[in-house]
Amino acid sequence: MSRAGVFLSNVLAVAYKEASILRHDKALLAAILIQPVMMFLLFGMALSNKPANVPWVVLDWNGGATARRLVEDVMATGYFVPPQRVTSYDQGRALLQRGRAVAMLVIPKDFRREFERSRAQVQVLVDGSDPMQAARVGGYLTQVASQFDPERQPDQRTAQDRVRTDGPLDLRQRFWFNATLDDREFFLAALAGMLLTNLCLSATSLGLVAERESGTYEQMLATPATPIEIVLGKLLPYVGVSYVVMLFATTAPGVVFGLWPEGSFVTLFVVTLPFVLASLSVGVFVSALARTSAQAVFISVFFIMPSFVLSGAMFPYQFMPDGVRQIGGLFPLRWYQIALRRIVERGADLSEVAVPTLALCAIFAALLVAIRLLMKPRLS
Amino acid sequence: MRWRRLLTLMRREVLATLRDPFTVIILISVPLGALLIFGFVLSTEVRDLRLGVLDASDSPASRRLIADLAAKGTFSPRPYATREAIDRAIVSGDIGAAIVIPPDFERQLNGRAPGDDPPEIQVVFDGGEAMLAGNAEGFLRGIVGSTMGQIGPRDPGAPPGVGVVLRSLYNPTLDGTPFMVAGTFGFVLSFLTTLITAVSIVNEKLTGTFEQLQVTPATSVEILLGKLLPLGAVFAFDVLLMVLTAGFVLGVWPEGSIVFFVAMSAFYVMVSLAMGLIISATSATAAEAVQKSVMTSIPLVQLSGFAFPIRSMPMPIQWVAELFPATHYIRMSRAIYMRGEGPLALAPELGVLVIFAAIMVIYALRSIEARR
Repeated sequence: MSRAGVFLSNVLAVAYKEASILRHDKALLAAILIQPVMMFLLFGMALSNKPANVPWVVLDWNGGATARRLVEDVMATGYFVPPQRVTSYDQGRALLQRGRAVAMLVIPKDFRREFERSRAQVQVLVDGSDPMQAARVGGYLTQVASQFDPERQPDQRTAQDRVRTDGPLDLRQRFWFNATLDDREFFLAALAGMLLTNLCLSATSLGLVAERESGTYEQMLATPATPIEIVLGKLLPYVGVSYVVMLFATTAPGVVFGLWPEGSFVTLFVVTLPFVLASLSVGVFVSALARTSAQAVFISVFFIMPSFVLSGAMFPYQFMPDGVRQIGGLFPLRWYQIALRRIVERGADLSEVAVPTLALCAIFAALLVAIRLLMKPRLS
Repeated sequence: MRWRRLLTLMRREVLATLRDPFTVIILISVPLGALLIFGFVLSTEVRDLRLGVLDASDSPASRRLIADLAAKGTFSPRPYATREAIDRAIVSGDIGAAIVIPPDFERQLNGRAPGDDPPEIQVVFDGGEAMLAGNAEGFLRGIVGSTMGQIGPRDPGAPPGVGVVLRSLYNPTLDGTPFMVAGTFGFVLSFLTTLITAVSIVNEKLTGTFEQLQVTPATSVEILLGKLLPLGAVFAFDVLLMVLTAGFVLGVWPEGSIVFFVAMSAFYVMVSLAMGLIISATSATAAEAVQKSVMTSIPLVQLSGFAFPIRSMPMPIQWVAELFPATHYIRMSRAIYMRGEGPLALAPELGVLVIFAAIMVIYALRSIEARR
């Protein structure tokens, strides 16, 4: 048999062995099956940064019909629960202090008269302790007030009415790829990346260390297979599982929410390969660093957490300050989620995701070199 | 219960924990790392967002507008020559937003009779980055509004509207750091504590030292306390370390009493440690214990209000979120850190935490006793 033939058959033999172990590991299989469904349901149905059911307080010193109309207009946005009415400033402040309300609208006594002179003003106090929510809630209230016109019916405009007149200028705004700015689309587009990071890291980092602990790794070294063939063979089944998980993560949003990927599955498949290889290499790297499986788990968990947070999969990385933003670029997930969003939401083709794909390849290559250096003494 | 026996058990636990350099590194680096990472990620401020500009007017007014957009550091404008180039740049993600100024912008702006349509500017956002687009929109609207107020004539026919004086309490600049810092305590004290306890006990079970403990005269309560108290002290030290780091490095100090905060956190650590004990008691191997800890940590990050507002979740999920001790701890931690709340106002939340603690400790005790 040729050299390449031996190499291939050794890799496949190890892969076969690994796949049969995987098939019998009930706990791991359950984790592989349950996790994608759980994350999909959470991100698809439960989690959102959009304010909803916002409790608020109205201190209405005017008490007239125009003032009531303003409150109705605020309610018509759909973000708020019916307001709690207070009769003094201190009462409202106390509710904000206790966290029972997020915003307080203060309507002055001369509201009606001032409104007729076009110079009415109201005061809005927001609880800044949750800055994301405060910014948005403050924005909604400001927007409702600036467009306030008691002659119009409140149901004629909704929060989605984003074409507005700003004084001397008509600002025509459009939101591409996600017209209503739903967080669901933001999260689900990167779902495959989060699931694959979890899967690749925990499976490989644990698997390799466990074999070393139980001594089966030494047994495999005694076979004709070389270390490289063993590692490749061990990784091969996980590449297969990764593609299945990736398919689930990209089709489930389509089936359930009608959010099918705009781009082609071929592009998705191509971009996924360097990402899966890079993530698996991180797992191998971790297992080379760790002495016990407990250590391997600690290291991989504390790699997964920051990569979720810093990559932009859960929070937009564009908000992060310089330095933190660049650190996030070291995680494979950063580049994969960029590519995923482009393909899934914007229908990008392969040439438009060339930069993230090349970045993933570069990370993979760097990891291979690092693993080679780290594993050499043990394998000789 | 004999105090001397308990002290011996506690000494043994401290020695065993601190002898392993890996655990010590984890105990110091994870809280600090989490604090610094989370402290920086959440921000409402848009900086250097790449803004595609198609200025077909190329007039003093349009150049002024673009200069103002660039001046605040929110946007970094990049010129494009055609509408197609802009569309392509948005699809490929080179720019996050684009503004298109029509050729007759200046003429429309100045030579307009009352009642005419105002000049129109098109703005396109990349809605795929939903959060970013939502915030960028606000900034862009603000800048355009203030610039036009200076260079454009006031439209006499504009609807009256109501001015808003917006004031943000507790956090006037809407800085994201204190919010995330206060939440990070909940993340570290729930996840790291559970993981470390679970792994340490399962490892003891595997090496057989836990069985050795059980055949000594020590009672179950003593074994439990001998585990909980030293680890609790270690994590109380972690809390202090985090408070000081947040204060000196990030400039975030609690508005309320530091003593109350540390005491409340130390109590919460007991709840998490008991959780770790339960996980370890029901797991056969370290890998299983870890998998269970990680599985409980997924809802911890996502449902506890740490990263996503609970109010925005569907009702049934909100009830589930209330069942996590971490939800109540994070709520209290934020109330103390940001609004300076005291023990009296937080009594209901504290009560819930005490109930959780009682249930967990009883359950943990029984799981130790069951194996004797």
